[in-house]
Amino acid sequence: MPFFKTVEKLIVNYGNFFTEGVRNTLIISASAVLIGTVLGALMALARMSQIHPLRWLATAYIEFFRGTPLMVQLMFIFYGLPMIGVTFPEVSFIPDFSRFMAGIVAMSLNSCAYVAEVIRSGIQAVDSGQMEAARCLGLSKKQGMTMVVLPQAIRNILPALGNEFVTVIKESSVVSVIGIADLMYRTNGVKAKTYNTLECLFVAAIIYFIMTFIFSKLVAYTERRMAHGRRA
Amino acid sequence: MDAGHNEERRTIIQVKHLTKRFEKLTVLDDISIDFREHEVVSVIGPSGGGKSTFLRCLNLMEQPTSGQILVDGVNICDKHIDINRHREKMGMVFQQFNLFNNMNVIKNLTAAPVKLKKMSKEEAEDKAITLLRRVGLEEKVHSYPSELSGGQKQRIAIVRALMMNPEVMLFDEPTSALDPEMIGEVLDVMKELAHEGMTMIVVTHEMRFAREVSSRTLFLSDGHVEEDKPSHELFDHPESPRLVSFLQKVL
Ligand SMILES: Nc1ncnc2c1ncn2[C@@H]1O[C@H](COP(=O)(O)OP(=O)(O)O)[C@@H](O)[C@H]1O
Ligand SMILES: [Mg+2]
Repeated sequence: MPFFKTVEKLIVNYGNFFTEGVRNTLIISASAVLIGTVLGALMALARMSQIHPLRWLATAYIEFFRGTPLMVQLMFIFYGLPMIGVTFPEVSFIPDFSRFMAGIVAMSLNSCAYVAEVIRSGIQAVDSGQMEAARCLGLSKKQGMTMVVLPQAIRNILPALGNEFVTVIKESSVVSVIGIADLMYRTNGVKAKTYNTLECLFVAAIIYFIMTFIFSKLVAYTERRMAHGRRA
Repeated sequence: MDAGHNEERRTIIQVKHLTKRFEKLTVLDDISIDFREHEVVSVIGPSGGGKSTFLRCLNLMEQPTSGQILVDGVNICDKHIDINRHREKMGMVFQQFNLFNNMNVIKNLTAAPVKLKKMSKEEAEDKAITLLRRVGLEEKVHSYPSELSGGQKQRIAIVRALMMNPEVMLFDEPTSALDPEMIGEVLDVMKELAHEGMTMIVVTHEMRFAREVSSRTLFLSDGHVEEDKPSHELFDHPESPRLVSFLQKVL
């Protein structure tokens, strides 16, 4: 059977498998980026803090999570934590909740490290003269931050956060190894049922690409919009 | 405005044994000097000689390594004083203008005084418009910094500092980043300020400004005030060999 005929057949017969996979992939990615952003903002604050031990801890965290594979982090959280007595609760009305949670926690902790760096470099990219001018007028460091630096840093941070989401969508495929029914997991399922290995991977690749492409375009669009806003 | 009358004037800033080191590098070495009310003092000297560092120590943008800086008799190096309240009294103008890029002109001018409750929003806006008119930029109220020329930015940066009703204005090479044709418009504003009696300390490479507008000129080199005299005297009768060779290079 020609390649594209098979692809068509897969989509018609197993469409709901793929859509469920997409749904879970998006849920996990969005949760990870959302939680990762909140934690990442705090982590960035700690990373830039004047308090030495705090700064050291944050730096260590960031370096560690950026320097080890997501797969390893995921395994640690899913298999390792229960061994030391930390388990995620089961929730009756959501199937596989604890598994899901492990995936989201791992992805969030990982994303946190990257987001923290995004935020920190976004803030540090703002010309230091801006804060100096604020301080010379008698504004406090905090006032200078909120009135002058952060509004400018946001322009650097938002597009980079969008790109982080794109990365996370792709990286999230590793959660399939702990049995979360994301797009990759479902793709493997269909592959096992039909033996159409290449066609299945093709469908998955196209779906991943569509998701990331739409989102990158969205990011590029907002970036352009912001650039049209006034700036130096 | 010549130095002879200085004796009657109140001392605003007293610098006592100011030393500033970065790591091992001594940038300012035991400087003691006074600045009086209504004085316009130029600070000249070779690049890297510590002029910016000296100016930045005066409002504690740099923390002195040792020594005292008394403003209106209060030692601002004292840990217990609120430095932010002191900075309000000392306007600062930078080589790179440093207008807030995320704010339009009127916001640039009113944000700090309103936030710090120096005046109401309406008062601040009235004052801003009045000052803008005086520097000939009232039509730029709603412009953003990116839409202004260097000369316009610097005039607005001066106005921004004036909004706080400072007692002293510090200028760090305010015309050095400007295209030559824009230097005049900024110097004019500074001259006018000087004539109104503003106390000014101006780090500058504009020797004509130093000579003609400032009452006193300091030659700062290698962390020392090598010469400190009424401007005309300093330029007409330089004494230290370093100043002589410096003036030969720049004049
Ligand atoms: N933040 C800093 N850290 C280390 N060295 C500095 C710093 N600021 C200035 N310096 C050094 O101090 C010296 C004097 O600098 P500066 O005050 O800017 O001189 P000027 O304004 O006269 O050109 C220079 O050698 C400069 O490299
Ligand atoms: Mg300098």
